[in-house]
Amino acid sequence: MRCGDLKESYLEDEKIFQSLFVKIWLAVLLVFLAVFPLLADAYMLYVANLIGFAIIAAVGLNLLTGFTGQISLGHAAFVGVGGYAAAVLITRFGAPFWLALPLAGLVSALIGLVIGIPSLRVKGLYLCIATLASQFILEYVFVHWESVTRGIRGINVPPPRFGGFVFDTEASFYYITLVVMLMCVGFARNLVRTKWGRAFVAVRDRDLAAEIIGINLFRYKLVAFGVSSFYAGIAGGLWVSFMKVVTPEHFPFSLSIQYLAMIIVGGLGTILGSIFGAIFMTLVPELLNVLTGTTKHFFPGMEQLFIPMKDVIFGMLIVGFLVFEPHGLAEIWHRIKNFFTLWPFSY
Amino acid sequence: MLTYEKCVLPLPPPVKGGGFQIPLPSRERVARGGISDGKSSGKLAHMHVRVNLSDSLVGLLGSLAKSVSPHAISKEAGLMRARGFLAVFSLMLVLSMLGPAPAQDVIKIGAVQPITGRFAFAGVNINAGLEDALMMANEEGGINGKQIKYIMEDGQYQLDVATAAFKRIMTRDNPLIMYGESTGLGKAMSPEIKDRYKILYSSTSFSGELADVAVNPYIFVPGPTYADMFGILLKYIANEKPGAKVAFFYSDTEFGKDPIPFARQMCKDLKLELVAEAVAQVGAIDVTSQVLELKRKSPDYVIFQGFVVEPVAAVIKQCRDFGMKTKFMGTFWGATKMIIDNLGPLAEGYMAVNPYMYWWNDDVPMIKKIKTYSAKKHPSVTYRDNSYMQGFMTGLIFVELLKRADKAGQLNGEGLVKALQSLKDFDSGGLSAPFTVKNNKFPVARVWKTNVQKKIWEPASDWMRLDK
Amino acid sequence: MDIIPQIIVSGLAAGGVYGLIALGFVLIYKATSILNLATGEFMTLGAFVCLSVMTQIAAPFYIAFIVTIVFAAVLGIVIERIVLRPLIGEPIIAVIMVTIGLASIIRGLSHMIWSPEYRTFPRIFPPEPLDLGFAIVPSGLLWGFIFAVVCTAIFTLIFRYTRTGLAMRATAANQQAALSMGISVKRVFALSWSLAAITAGIGGIIIGNISGISIHLGHIGLKVLSVIILGGLDSIVGAIIGGFIIGILENFAGVFLDSIFGGGVKEVVPFVILVIILMIRPYGIFGKAIIERV
Repeated sequence: MRCGDLKESYLEDEKIFQSLFVKIWLAVLLVFLAVFPLLADAYMLYVANLIGFAIIAAVGLNLLTGFTGQISLGHAAFVGVGGYAAAVLITRFGAPFWLALPLAGLVSALIGLVIGIPSLRVKGLYLCIATLASQFILEYVFVHWESVTRGIRGINVPPPRFGGFVFDTEASFYYITLVVMLMCVGFARNLVRTKWGRAFVAVRDRDLAAEIIGINLFRYKLVAFGVSSFYAGIAGGLWVSFMKVVTPEHFPFSLSIQYLAMIIVGGLGTILGSIFGAIFMTLVPELLNVLTGTTKHFFPGMEQLFIPMKDVIFGMLIVGFLVFEPHGLAEIWHRIKNFFTLWPFSY
Repeated sequence: MLTYEKCVLPLPPPVKGGGFQIPLPSRERVARGGISDGKSSGKLAHMHVRVNLSDSLVGLLGSLAKSVSPHAISKEAGLMRARGFLAVFSLMLVLSMLGPAPAQDVIKIGAVQPITGRFAFAGVNINAGLEDALMMANEEGGINGKQIKYIMEDGQYQLDVATAAFKRIMTRDNPLIMYGESTGLGKAMSPEIKDRYKILYSSTSFSGELADVAVNPYIFVPGPTYADMFGILLKYIANEKPGAKVAFFYSDTEFGKDPIPFARQMCKDLKLELVAEAVAQVGAIDVTSQVLELKRKSPDYVIFQGFVVEPVAAVIKQCRDFGMKTKFMGTFWGATKMIIDNLGPLAEGYMAVNPYMYWWNDDVPMIKKIKTYSAKKHPSVTYRDNSYMQGFMTGLIFVELLKRADKAGQLNGEGLVKALQSLKDFDSGGLSAPFTVKNNKFPVARVWKTNVQKKIWEPASDWMRLDK
Repeated sequence: MDIIPQIIVSGLAAGGVYGLIALGFVLIYKATSILNLATGEFMTLGAFVCLSVMTQIAAPFYIAFIVTIVFAAVLGIVIERIVLRPLIGEPIIAVIMVTIGLASIIRGLSHMIWSPEYRTFPRIFPPEPLDLGFAIVPSGLLWGFIFAVVCTAIFTLIFRYTRTGLAMRATAANQQAALSMGISVKRVFALSWSLAAITAGIGGIIIGNISGISIHLGHIGLKVLSVIILGGLDSIVGAIIGGFIIGILENFAGVFLDSIFGGGVKEVVPFVILVIILMIRPYGIFGKAIIERV
């Protein structure tokens, strides 16, 4: 455990992995992630893939909401735009998955810019409401623009191929998800260290002062929105290729709320928080299932009650974290780490 | 394991009671900033560290629990909390290890039912019906001696929850047969059912897209498809009033839109005039504009698809208010007693298609059997709706197919499919007309009419078959 | 085209109800700058409570109505105290997310207490529609409209002519000045939440009467957001007039545009209008533009 490490230059302060100790643990984590498919069954890999997609989308949303302070209630629709874009590119235009994925992100970012331009000019809650409106409008477009999206029948998407190898099992797709997720998280973590990241934080905290020192508010808000939509598009493209089908039912308003809950529970304004939040919120329904499954033998009638309990617990998590622990799981993690920084030696 | 970088401890003044405070590096805090910066910055930056090398495991946990809390709490309180956590955790661990041991020679049937969510009223009933049919078969000796185990999970009528539940059951229990909750789930899972899982699948949905023996050989519909139902209704209309004006009122969902293209074609074939198509969301509040549209076109018959009660009641009421004399009809989910209960006198003249008999048809042997079983197992139940009958019929079909496949020695997906294709004139004890499979569905049903005084449905036609 | 007066009349009737619900939103926003996204769930609760009182105790409607109002008032105060008081001073995103979390909790609780089937209200109003000659107004919409207009009038009068209303307006204008004048801002917050819960509850009863109650009744709450954007986030008059305009536009779109776009246009039109308003006149018709002075 490191203790009392003092930095002598800004460069040292900004290092993401600040000591050998941390780097060793990081290597251990990477090795574990790489061999995970050998230890887990198909269902756990399915959940792991879903967590990966959630992490990418949550990191994108955190860049917009946590770092730049702009609330977006329509994140699921942008995930949907990415998903549909990837599906159409792969099925209609025959693009390979590796090209369709970044293009899907770009399409999503473009749509994000279109929504962002009118609503970011005005300060206040307007982006929040505009993204809510865009969520419903985009859902409508998914269902009704039948010539492109095939409406409610959905599009069947073939799995990605590389050479002769087809990534159609949970285990093989896991590696794609892992690599893309690491790239996205790495990029985001670096983004917040740069001038752009600092500009985002300035816009969030004191936008008037930021404007005075020369930060173009509109431009940076728009960039944040575009980057967040890009991430959403990537997550959508991955998800669609994994599920091998895309239908409008996949991207409801409740999914947008879930992404927001992920970053709030995880910790606004930290990349680590988005990861924790994504893992936590994806695993909570699983945990509830286990709980329901075990107590089913003791209270046979209770399972009817347990199931709406999920809504209640979900809401209580959001409210509870906001009231008692506004900085989320990342904060709890930091506190535990700090506790062990000087353990077992106290003063 | 301890690595010390430049271990120069910063020593701010000690606080009362021992321990000292560790300020966080400043940049980190700024990046995390935002919420509660002023208020809890004190709590964030200071941590009470008190360590005793001779702590037991619980003691360490106590300190941990204390450290996790944003407020400085005493060690005793932390210990209590840790004991609490440990107790709950071990209880959960023990509980999860309990539970029935797996039995040998058991046939597993899995189901993802919409127990909660938009179609919960139907889901609960369908689940009860399917479970009752399977458990009744168990009581009568099972499948040539093997008992059926029924594994059900709630899909909440939401695609992602249902998909996760489906995969979970497949991974954990590997059943022979799966039952799903919606058209969406069936379509999403159909490639994997065909290529990977190879199990028999049926669902609550009567969608025609799922009943296609060439594309989805493992999937069947336990009755007529929605398109078939529309066909039956349109044939009935063509018989009653040739050349009548017809309108469709459907919901903006998979469920609602499924039979519409076929229905449009059928209208042309039967020389009926399709004057209007109105679309509404399930549970729409204000259907005035759709009703106005209907008033403009004044059809003789309006067929609902994709709803159960919600805007149907409002639409019928508003149409009557406007003085329209239209006759209303619905498909399977409209043939529920809830329509009569909720609409009251407005339900007069409402007709619907239903391939199964009702709870009050006491002269049907299978209905008598269901009633006896219900009185025994579920004494508080007074009525089972048509959704129950759908689940029950599916259960009967499952049992029959399992028996046939087992007798042929092929108790697997392919064997079940072969058994399915061999179903001819299957007698369900009168619950429906004899079922003969055609393209993985059973296209036979009859038209029913409401009897508002007796609050029941009465047959308005004989069994109409579309499988000739 | 004789359909147009009918469209306008039906639109006005529906718009009256939207206006009532929008009033709830605006009340809270004016006093506390919070957008309460749990309004839909307050509506559902109001409808369920009224239904339960009427069916379990077989009470006449006006008693159930009074019980619902009392319940909604208490609910508003309780929520304000327990959930929102600790969050004073937090950034807006936190509070909006809390309202979303609240909506989830209330939805789950109403699922547990009243099972999720769809039900209808017993007869409250006389069922005959009103025949205006050039248009017919179905009874549910008609009485809903009358109710909504009466309630809106009462609230507007409260706001204008009572001391409490004055206190609320003062708090909305400038909290610090109100505090220094001796107005208990905490009480004003509690009051505005109660009033919002009451209006939402009444809105829920009206809509439950028109088209039945289920736990998904709250979806209307989101549609009403476009009403308040159109009218201006902090304008009561705007909420009412915005409600009428959206009601009429919705119906027009439904009748004329459905055939072009293949149906379901009516649900999405309020949101399209919302985006358009944001582009041309973000503060709405009656809202005040925010000018920051350093």
